[in-house]
Amino acid sequence: MNILVFIKQVADPEARILIKSDNKSLEIENKFNLNFFDEFAVEEAIRLKGKIKETKITVCTYGGKKAIEALRTAIAMGADQAYLIDNTDLDTEDPLITAKILAGFAKKEGFDLILCGRQAIDDENGNIGVMVAEFLKIPHVSAITKLDVVDEKKMLVENDIEGGRETKEVMLPALFTTQKGINEPRVPLITGVMKAMKANIPVIDPTTLGLAKEVIDKNASKIRIISYETPKGRPPVRVIEGETPEEKVKKLIQLLREEAKVL
Amino acid sequence: MDFTLTEQQEFFKKVIGDTVDRMVVPKAQEIDEKDEFPWELWREFTALGYLGLRYPEEIGGMNADKIMCMTFYEEIARGSVGFAQSVIMNILMGTYFLYRFGSDSIKERCLYPAMRGEKIATMCFTEDQSGSDLGATRTTAVKDGNGWRINGTKMWITNGPICDFCTVLATTDPSKGLKGLNFFLVEKGTPGFSSGQVLNKLGCRGTVTGELVFDNVWIPDENFLGDELGKGVMYVGDILDEVRLMTGAMALGIAKGAYNEALEFAKKRVAFGKPIGNYQLIREKFADMDTLMNAARLMIYYGAWMVEEGMDSRLIAAEAKMFATEVCLKVVDEGTRIYGANAFAYEYTPQRYFRDARFLLYGGGTHEVLKDFIGRNIIGKL
Repeated sequence: MNILVFIKQVADPEARILIKSDNKSLEIENKFNLNFFDEFAVEEAIRLKGKIKETKITVCTYGGKKAIEALRTAIAMGADQAYLIDNTDLDTEDPLITAKILAGFAKKEGFDLILCGRQAIDDENGNIGVMVAEFLKIPHVSAITKLDVVDEKKMLVENDIEGGRETKEVMLPALFTTQKGINEPRVPLITGVMKAMKANIPVIDPTTLGLAKEVIDKNASKIRIISYETPKGRPPVRVIEGETPEEKVKKLIQLLREEAKVL
Repeated sequence: MDFTLTEQQEFFKKVIGDTVDRMVVPKAQEIDEKDEFPWELWREFTALGYLGLRYPEEIGGMNADKIMCMTFYEEIARGSVGFAQSVIMNILMGTYFLYRFGSDSIKERCLYPAMRGEKIATMCFTEDQSGSDLGATRTTAVKDGNGWRINGTKMWITNGPICDFCTVLATTDPSKGLKGLNFFLVEKGTPGFSSGQVLNKLGCRGTVTGELVFDNVWIPDENFLGDELGKGVMYVGDILDEVRLMTGAMALGIAKGAYNEALEFAKKRVAFGKPIGNYQLIREKFADMDTLMNAARLMIYYGAWMVEEGMDSRLIAAEAKMFATEVCLKVVDEGTRIYGANAFAYEYTPQRYFRDARFLLYGGGTHEVLKDFIGRNIIGKL
């Protein structure tokens, strides 16, 4: 079985991020990680490899040269090979273009199953997986929390719905996006780290993926970033004083009613 | 001149940093408070394979270069120096002589299991009356049939009370001073070999440090670790620079841990209506700390590069150990000042870094001894 895993390298949640003076771009401290939700996708692919014979896991990202580090992390965890689709000098803001490029790669590479995180924790778009599935004309299920193999042509997936859980049987090829709770991503063994350090990661020019030039052209984006703003500072925490817990709760309820007006 | 880490070195640094954040950092405070060897963490962490860091791939190691080793030592000490000491003992000093001189049988019995974390290793130099002054070693090894008989007591032995084997420095001829010193392997269960007092330490808690007693311990000739008698001190010289640089890297790790937490605190702690990081006197502290840590890291990497290249690194290794440790002492102190009174409470972390840093003053050579060594080498014989 050929499993493709699409990943993204994102800024570490603790990285220092500044808005540049043009208000349209960001300066991000050099601290990057494999996207939180994509780690679940990589882990799930590795677990499937343990269940299905002759499974090959290919990891791919559309990103800059720095993103090779995230690809190596996936190899260290247990992926077999990785590709970087180099986005240098190309559009990176329009998810539609990213999805077309990744779908182009998937067509060229071939696949039985595609996994990716439900969303990237930087832009929070959460639409790449869905769009890739659409471009490839394959079924998809978003934010799965469980994946079981029925046979090599069929999978059983679960996802949370309002007030409960839904189980679906899905014919392959298909695309699933992974949600927290599906597994616990592993810490790489040193043998994996060594393999990752030595791995040759081919860099693909997106213009070789058979997409029309106007699709990936620098000006192809239908989305423009107008500005970035920092979130408003939170008001200071108020400590509710009182002699007894009962008194404190009374005061809290009073404040929630009269000041916060939420009761 | 190129100061950049290779892509592989960067990747390794990132992976080990993430691993430490995930596995070690959350347990650091508990390790310190309990002051017990963290067996569960030991099993989980060593299962990843890092104990073979320095050794060739053919025997299950990673064959990491010296820069990567330094990044590893720094990162794991950033997580918990109590845990780091035990890990690094198995990686470096505790197994060095076995790898270099051990027979196939010794390697099978001790080295390879130690690389997998199944056995705990240690190295015994220090005695109650001798540390840096190796010539004052009083533990003796006397030829006895097809082996050696060892008598003496070692003190301040990292992993000592829980070790499965140890490399012991002993004199085979006290009249020869340094030229009478040699190394021997003693394994747990050998009659006469026992552990004595376990030290209750100010810092580096979680590492079990203590006394090892050799009471008429007989070991076979195979356990003599060397090419020929009298070269023990020379062999020490072959690894000493790496050990000193490692100590400096650990100091840097403690400093970085303290610095990171102080930085978080300075961003969040509000005084007089704004985060304290807005005040110039706090900013100055970060400017100084960052400058010092960068300088220390450059010295350590430079020394590691020299060791890797086979150059004479004696002075830079001693200087880097000394400088990085002094930087560490400065940074952990500033960390407590930034935290204010909270730093004085056991439930917060700055006091742990403050206590841990002290040990590195002594391990790897006291600064009084190192300064004399450096000065003597610079001035020469007059």
